[in-house]
Amino acid sequence: MIATEFRTLLDALNAAPAQREFVTSWVDEDDCETVTFGEFRRRARRQAVLLRNHGVSQGDRVVILMPQGTAAMTVFVGAMLLGAVPAILAYPNFKVEPAKYRSGLAGVTANLSARLVIVDEQFPDELLGHVTFGEAKLVRAADSADDGDNLALGDVGAEPNDLAFLQHSAGTTGLQKGVALTHAAVLRQLQSLIQVLHIDGSADRVYSWLPLYHDMGLIACFMLPLVSHMPVVMQSPLDWVMRPESMLQLISEYRCTLAWLPNFTFQFVPRRTPRENWERYDLSSARALINCSEPVRAASMEEFYQSFGGNGLRREALQSSYAMAENVFAVTQSGINGKRAPAHIWADGQRFRSEHIVVEVGAGTAGALSFLSSGQLLPGNEVRIVSDRDAILNGGEVGEILIKSDCLFQGYYNRSDLTAQALVDGWYYSGDLGFVLGDELYVVGRKKDLLIIGGENIYPQDIEEIAASHPAIHDGRAVALGLYNSDLGTEEIVLVAEVERHELLHNPAAIENELRSHIVAGSGVAVKTIFLKPPKWIVKSTAGKPARSTTREKLLREHPELQAGSAAS
Amino acid sequence: MTAETQQMIEHITRLIRKPGVAIDENTPLVSSGLIDSMALVDLLMKLQDVTQLRISPGKVQPKDMDTVALMFATAQRVGKPKR
Repeated sequence: MIATEFRTLLDALNAAPAQREFVTSWVDEDDCETVTFGEFRRRARRQAVLLRNHGVSQGDRVVILMPQGTAAMTVFVGAMLLGAVPAILAYPNFKVEPAKYRSGLAGVTANLSARLVIVDEQFPDELLGHVTFGEAKLVRAADSADDGDNLALGDVGAEPNDLAFLQHSAGTTGLQKGVALTHAAVLRQLQSLIQVLHIDGSADRVYSWLPLYHDMGLIACFMLPLVSHMPVVMQSPLDWVMRPESMLQLISEYRCTLAWLPNFTFQFVPRRTPRENWERYDLSSARALINCSEPVRAASMEEFYQSFGGNGLRREALQSSYAMAENVFAVTQSGINGKRAPAHIWADGQRFRSEHIVVEVGAGTAGALSFLSSGQLLPGNEVRIVSDRDAILNGGEVGEILIKSDCLFQGYYNRSDLTAQALVDGWYYSGDLGFVLGDELYVVGRKKDLLIIGGENIYPQDIEEIAASHPAIHDGRAVALGLYNSDLGTEEIVLVAEVERHELLHNPAAIENELRSHIVAGSGVAVKTIFLKPPKWIVKSTAGKPARSTTREKLLREHPELQAGSAAS
Repeated sequence: MTAETQQMIEHITRLIRKPGVAIDENTPLVSSGLIDSMALVDLLMKLQDVTQLRISPGKVQPKDMDTVALMFATAQRVGKPKR
């Protein structure tokens, strides 16, 4: 089966064997449902008719706010059957901050000029209250008594270059960025993945807890199975995080072969699974558990292997990839082109920090930094590493990663301003920093100090803006930093803020509490530690803005205890 | 106050690690920024232990976890007996 034989994603779905299992939605041992490709098609057609009855037609944007599972997926495909353009957005959970959720939702819906916003029956009313959706109509998803087999839908005649759907890049300010993707671009990406991972829909099975509004969940764990006719077992992110061990249970029970996971999973699962339970699981079916974070960390992968190597887990099953919504999904994949595992190197830490170059040293050398490769380029993908002045850098030199590919997005939906910043002469400026050695790409972090907390992208500017609006804080004198906590395998947010006047430092607790609650209300982010500093403490750049990296160094000098759990960045 | 409520309050107090911050059954936790979203997952797990009920996170909404009193009401409403 060659994905490019199909003109559209719908053609690919139609070609799937009706009796083959497609989606298993697993909540717990008593709440689990598997639908076949035939049943999935039937339900999607039913949803298409419901959407059509609500006035949806070709080209309309449809916003889907439904819990992870088959219903959301069939609405998504149902919209595509009408030639409409669906977008799955984050479904609220008990952790969501209502004001932030409402404003994000209103912003995205308005930007998409959506025709319809579809929510499930249980969607909390207070999260919809006072949200203006512009022209969009709000409907509650309902099942139809119609038999999906006998519904006359008509042929919308989707063309390969028609928009198939929108996927939103994560993050707070990033909420506005809907990546518009055509059927052809998605199929080209999936074809590359099928080829390099040797995917066989009759033998492989994906395990996923990744949300469908994220590229890992939507592309790798929904579109890839749909096009390669491969079963997928999925649970919701929250069900997984409440029972991290369930990942091992599902891979074992369903003999899953493939999974895409963020870095922290590789530490979180062994640490949250009681040791006495480890022997229950058999991970020998896993062909590739793919760490898809930026960066991937060797220590996290090693911890997972050391924990479950005795459970049939093969070392070569631990792989890596560099992926983003703007390229549909993956740019690189490890373990391909005859290689077995992601390359792991050690580099001189001092030269890396000061000269931005990678000079390889022996494994474990004092002061050395460890880098794990994100793999090799997928067919049809090119990368370039450039300096701040846009000069093309050589192998081993660290700079921004630029991407050009046969599946690159055409732009952010309705945001020509953001598109113009990100796409220049056909190259996508990823904002990620990395380097190339040989044919391996290494990703080292985010150019704009984007904070990655528990797999979520946090933009420090959002936090700083809120902090600086506090009357006790000097305007523009707040810096949010991510410090890597090696115990958690993720970064934690630290805020440094200058008070207006020295005497305000006499009662820091009250200011800290107010800052905390303002920040959580405005951004949904909880700050781990707040350091209030006297006026003029924060280091400024020549442009008069806080210099984040220099401020970070100063903070670490004054508070060496922070360094203990922090990796070089 | 029941022993279970007391147990939950003590757990949260330890989690917050802020000297001088006293919480009771009706102290807003999330909307005040006292606890973060990762901690909420921990609290939901603790709530399952304390109540001996299985609580599916999909059935829990933001407003259900803002105070200790609301947490126990939620556990009673959506909890299933432990297997």
